Amino acid sequence: MREGLEASFAKRFDGGAVIEICGLTLGADPEITVLFGPSGCGKTTVLRCLAGLERPDSGTIRFGEEFWFGSAGRHPLPPQRRKVGFVPQDYALFPHLSVEQNIGYGLYGLPARESRARVAGTMRWLGLEGLEQRRPGALSGGQQQRVALARALVTRPRLLLLDEPLSALDAPARLRVRNELRPMLRRLSIPTLLVTHDRAEALALGDTLWVMNRGKLLQHGLAHEVFSRPADLDVAAIVAMETVQPGRVLKITDGLATVAVGPAILTALALDVQAVAEEVYVCIRAEEVILVKGPGSPSSARNCLPGTVCSLAREGPMVRAHLDCGFPLAALLTHQACEEMLLRQGDAVSALIKAPHIHLIPRAG
Amino acid sequence: MSAEDWQLIWFTARMAALSTCLVLPVGLALAWCLARPRWRGKALVETLVSLPLVLPPVVTGLVLLTLFGRRGPLGRWLYQQLGLDIVFTWKAVVLALAVMSLPLFVRAARTALEEVNPLFEQLARTLGAGEWRVLLTITLPLARRGIIAGTMLAFARALGEFGATIMVAGNIPGQTTTLPVAIYSSVELGVTARPWMLAGVSATLAFLAIWTSERLVRRPKGLRLKAKG
Amino acid sequence: MAAWVRLKTGLTVIPGLLLAFGAGPGAQVGWVLPAQAGVPLLPALGTGPGARGGEQAGNRHATVVVFAAASLTDCLKEIAAWYEKKTGDKLVFNLAASSTLAMQIRAGARADLFFSADEARMQALEDEGLIVKGTRRSRLSNSLVIVVATERGAEVSSPQDLAGPRVKRLALADPQAVPAGVYAREYLRRANLWSAIQPKVVPMENVRAALAAVEAGNVDAGIVYKTDAAISRKVRIACEVPRQGGPLISYPMALLVDAPQPEAARRFLEHLGSEQAEAVFRKLGFIVLRSSVP
Repeated sequence: MREGLEASFAKRFDGGAVIEICGLTLGADPEITVLFGPSGCGKTTVLRCLAGLERPDSGTIRFGEEFWFGSAGRHPLPPQRRKVGFVPQDYALFPHLSVEQNIGYGLYGLPARESRARVAGTMRWLGLEGLEQRRPGALSGGQQQRVALARALVTRPRLLLLDEPLSALDAPARLRVRNELRPMLRRLSIPTLLVTHDRAEALALGDTLWVMNRGKLLQHGLAHEVFSRPADLDVAAIVAMETVQPGRVLKITDGLATVAVGPAILTALALDVQAVAEEVYVCIRAEEVILVKGPGSPSSARNCLPGTVCSLAREGPMVRAHLDCGFPLAALLTHQACEEMLLRQGDAVSALIKAPHIHLIPRAG
Repeated sequence: MSAEDWQLIWFTARMAALSTCLVLPVGLALAWCLARPRWRGKALVETLVSLPLVLPPVVTGLVLLTLFGRRGPLGRWLYQQLGLDIVFTWKAVVLALAVMSLPLFVRAARTALEEVNPLFEQLARTLGAGEWRVLLTITLPLARRGIIAGTMLAFARALGEFGATIMVAGNIPGQTTTLPVAIYSSVELGVTARPWMLAGVSATLAFLAIWTSERLVRRPKGLRLKAKG
Repeated sequence: MAAWVRLKTGLTVIPGLLLAFGAGPGAQVGWVLPAQAGVPLLPALGTGPGARGGEQAGNRHATVVVFAAASLTDCLKEIAAWYEKKTGDKLVFNLAASSTLAMQIRAGARADLFFSADEARMQALEDEGLIVKGTRRSRLSNSLVIVVATERGAEVSSPQDLAGPRVKRLALADPQAVPAGVYAREYLRRANLWSAIQPKVVPMENVRAALAAVEAGNVDAGIVYKTDAAISRKVRIACEVPRQGGPLISYPMALLVDAPQPEAARRFLEHLGSEQAEAVFRKLGFIVLRSSVP
């Protein structure tokens, strides 16, 4: 039996929605696994099934030697016995208890002195000193999140489950807490499963990524890999690849594939592509596109596509440019760069894209 | 008001308090069961508990009299085995008050329990709390306002109960005469001032109890059950 | 069965109150007039109907409302059955404790006749001018008995046993107001037993309710009229209260001032003094007094 979590289960809901999880695994290593997918795809339900708060209809959930669900003839292990730390989306701090009582709730059987010491230690570790007697209503969002974490951690769980840990915070707090959260989680050395629909969060916090949509697991791998190399169109949409265009492989030489996209010719790494004349989808991240005004000079980028600026949209400090290079191409650049280049709608530009930054997804049928 | 009248009010309050003490554990258990989703026979239990609310109180009193009379199925057993006389004693008063005020308490307590966010209970379970601990440390404290309001309502109802009481406990001055029964018999005797004075006391007590109950049920703005960012 | 009787007699209070609240001030004024106008009074009893000649034509098939003491339930029902068949008038009875009935009449209930179980209640109404003068008659009496349940009843052989340990609870009609209870209390006082017995007393709404309590076994004994004990198979007479040395029981009847149907009411009142009615009273155990003067 392998260490760590292994879950394959299905659950049907009234209304027809179905969750079918096949082979969700978490190693016993203390790493942060992110379950990533759009809102409503069932991520929270997966988490609740793992915590024992909901019961799947069929399948197994195993942690190490223990069968949490699905062992023939035996009842599922109740949540009380799973030793899992669960932090829900709104933190659900007990409103009638103080911070100290909230955090110490799971330490029921321990002698008072040890319990107090552990609570104090955890509070210190998470920077919550001084807040012992406060009620949850009197805490800021970031503080509430840390209290919720402390409450889950003080019992020394074997597995930590976090449901959208940052979504309940407002924008400035979210950024700050995100930067604090990752080192904190890494120091924990508890395997963690974190659920989010936010791309930045997934990339910032996760070591490995599971992509989920409509109740099914679609792809699994290192975070940055999944984001730059989605396995199929679904995943590409979920990881928000800005440019996805149909193309055709013209030739493959030296590990490089020449792909025709509309009238344009692109050079990409021939990783997933086997044959010539294969129909593919070409995926290009907007961040990976470099713009040069006018015709470009020779550069290391294999692709230099002439095109025109169709529109410019300001997004905070960035500008999203939509280009026509024979096919629609999206580029992301800083507002500063845009001003320096005096980029305007209708300008002629060249888009520089490195071969590894063009991802090809084979088109089936 | 004479010393007799004060005795009367004190007796009525004591009986109402006793009956409320009886109603609390039974009512809480019923309310908790009815707050759970969908189980076999739930609709039947719901209806039975609500019956004393809509049945004419004299009918409820009649049922109690038949059951607990010395020759009745329950009364006979109690009398022969335990020497307990129920009807026409203060025990019958407590019984009648408890039966009539139980539905009000159960309704209020059930609503309060249903309003507790189940996530809190589930979270407590992941932290290792067994079902009893969840009930005592999470569910009941979070539902306490509604439960207290229900208790006040039950007490007020018990203070004013007449139809069932007079059927099963009678009107024995000093032993089973409660405030409403005393008002009734004063009117019967043709006394003019006393019933009005007693009615005033009755109305004041009821007013205070309901007013407190309403204040408790309406949540003040500061208290929220969900944590906000 | 006993409990149903209690419910029935108890529930007569409600229609009585409804009748009281149904009467409006205007209606009362309207009904007072005929009495003030000096409608001819009931002729001496013993002579047949028709002394007033042609008045009968107007009051064909009237409904007469009689407020009567609970102990008169069975005999009045029997008399009424015969009377309704013979005359076509309809009789409606409100049977409850005389004190309750007096209170309802005072509150304005629309009744034709009042048949009380003691003189005090009737006197109170007469003092308030609610009785038509000259119509009051007291011809009926009763005697008190101590009853116990036939099945597994308490062992009572003399009034003194009531004060003893075998009797834990004694049912009386409310001794503060209901005639049967008032009589019982007077008797027990004269026998020097009242102070010992009073803590055991369970006051009931009327004498039939007291009877029902003994039947149901919820009390050990009761004091009711002999006529009540006679109609119930579930109780037996443990001992009789002798008429000598006992309270003077008297059942006066009278026409009410606000009677809606004074003519028909007079006719029935007359009938209650007739040979036929007296026979029914005697049959059920009442004592018919020879003297007709109250």
